[in-house]
Amino acid sequence: MDSFLSGAAQIFTLATLIYMLFGSLAGIIAAAIPGFTVTMAIVLTLPLTFTMEPLQGIAVMLSVYVGGYTGGLISAALLGIPGTPSSVATTFDAFPMARRGEPGRALSLGVWASFFGTIISTVVLIVAAPPLAMFAVKLGPWEYFSLIVFALTIVASLVGDSVIRGLLAGFIGLAISTVGTDPIMGRPRFDFGIEMLETGLPFLVVLIGIFAISQLTSEVEDAKSVRSGNALVTGAIDFQTWKVMKEVLLRPVNLIRSSIVGVLIGALPGAGGSIANLVAYDQAKRNSKDPESFGKGNPDGVVASEAGNSATAGGGLIPLIGLGIPGSAVDAILMASLMVHGISVGPRLIMDHADLVYGMFIAMAVASLMMLFVSVVSMRMFLRVAEVPKWLIVPVVMVCCVVGSFALNNRVTDLYLLGFIGVAGYALRALGYSLAPLVLGVILGPIAETNLRRALMTDGDPSLFFTRPISLIFLIAAVVSIAWAIRGHLKQRKTSGRSTDAPAS
Amino acid sequence: MSDAGYDKQQAREAGEIARLLSYVLILFASVGLFVSAMGIPTSRFEKLGAGAFPKIVFAGIALVAVIAIIDALRKIPAGAYGRFACQTVAWAKRRHLVFVVLGALAVYLLAIPLLGFQIASFLFILALELVLMPRRPATLLIAVAVAAVFSFGLNWLFAEVFTVFLPRGVL
Repeated sequence: MDSFLSGAAQIFTLATLIYMLFGSLAGIIAAAIPGFTVTMAIVLTLPLTFTMEPLQGIAVMLSVYVGGYTGGLISAALLGIPGTPSSVATTFDAFPMARRGEPGRALSLGVWASFFGTIISTVVLIVAAPPLAMFAVKLGPWEYFSLIVFALTIVASLVGDSVIRGLLAGFIGLAISTVGTDPIMGRPRFDFGIEMLETGLPFLVVLIGIFAISQLTSEVEDAKSVRSGNALVTGAIDFQTWKVMKEVLLRPVNLIRSSIVGVLIGALPGAGGSIANLVAYDQAKRNSKDPESFGKGNPDGVVASEAGNSATAGGGLIPLIGLGIPGSAVDAILMASLMVHGISVGPRLIMDHADLVYGMFIAMAVASLMMLFVSVVSMRMFLRVAEVPKWLIVPVVMVCCVVGSFALNNRVTDLYLLGFIGVAGYALRALGYSLAPLVLGVILGPIAETNLRRALMTDGDPSLFFTRPISLIFLIAAVVSIAWAIRGHLKQRKTSGRSTDAPAS
Repeated sequence: MSDAGYDKQQAREAGEIARLLSYVLILFASVGLFVSAMGIPTSRFEKLGAGAFPKIVFAGIALVAVIAIIDALRKIPAGAYGRFACQTVAWAKRRHLVFVVLGALAVYLLAIPLLGFQIASFLFILALELVLMPRRPATLLIAVAVAAVFSFGLNWLFAEVFTVFLPRGVL
């Protein structure tokens, strides 16, 4: 209780609340701009939080996160372009509804669904994270290694249209993580005599290069659409705040089901809002009495897709707090920001820094309230943001990426690395490799290696990975996950031929 | 596709060949790095040395790459290889702006230590905007204003508010 109050006391200071308000606004604006993902918004926020207190920094980033999941809705509903990959399914029903002359209702439905989705996921987080953490401290390096193996298979199977390229991307990520000194003995590896590589590739530079630079570059692929830069949506936006809140609450089954889907998918390492958004929509459609009306502006579709993606925010924090494993790229950045402040993330987090964890729970709830407040107050302004043309966004955001990479270590060599990784990232993207597994490989690689070697240092018998029950369960789950992915892939190939790549979230 | 003049099927085949080349490249790189990982000395304090995990990873990459190569060879019709070069040129032409943007980024990154962040960023933003924007006089004003805000303004913000000093340059 003391730590709960201490966490609350740190959140409810004027400075933190004001920062969070700005964070929320920034998240919504950023995500409303097509080509600017929630991940990128958080990456760009990170350097700004270096000078803050740890909890304050995390609270700001959480408000960007929660705001970002809502912001994607704006361009999805108004322009039919998903502002972020996590709002792909939102376009299916919110856009027809807006086109029908109800843009305000579509936005309002999405905002309320996002709000309730976040709140439900926060409740689940509060209930589930502490017992999971208590359980997790009992796990040894064997279980951890098997868990990471499981996490890696999910990454490769859920993302992208090709299992093989997903696997390759994941492996390349692992390979990138082996550059630099090894995590146990500190021996230099693969530095090829280049000074820049001796300390390893800085994770955030890799992340910015892979996601942001490649995404921005792919935005200019179509010369015609870039050079036209015209506005699309006109018409009055009537928000109907309270009426729509009732409308959302009158669909409790859909709301709760979609949120639970979001939480569960968010809690799986590697799967994020982009998958939850589609799965929740799919579930709502399958369970609807009137599946025909989906895709034509059915409010249930809007509620499901937005509750689903927003609920991943809380879900993703469950493995982060409970196990020290990031559930998505965004959670990895949250983790990185804690590390910058010298706080080691892992099962002991909730014991050693209980006030921080409770503060995070409170921050989630406060962030969703802020998101609601900001959305209701300034919906009209967002219409303008969705109109910002690409020719302005691309160069400006690139400069922001450069600043973000430089400010991390104040090293000019990091900038060259950024350019190199950006080009490589674009090449991989153009070749149809999904980039999310790569980034998760970079994050999970050192954890996997440390635990594998630690396990074998503790006891040289490798069969322990299969004889310890929890470790075995994770390994079986990994095999099932691969089998499931291959089955799904074959099925998809049979029915619809090849689909385009899902963009990296 | 609105701009006719290229065949989707042929473009897809060319894409498959490009992927095949990437698999081959990845295979060679992983084999090379696997060999270099064998040279990492082991320690007598542990069963696995510093090179063990990289070896597992590179072996994994090589294995998946071989599967991918076999899969790709099966898919690509024999005639596609002859068309690859001209398809690639057509692809590059369709996406010429991508190369412009990446080229500009490279020049910008190299220019930062020389010109300093402010001037390099201003030139970079303005140049890219001029390339990408619709040609109208009103947009030119916006372009200059935005370039100034996100170069000189951003530098000021970071220096004064966050006390992070961006590169000043030698000139």
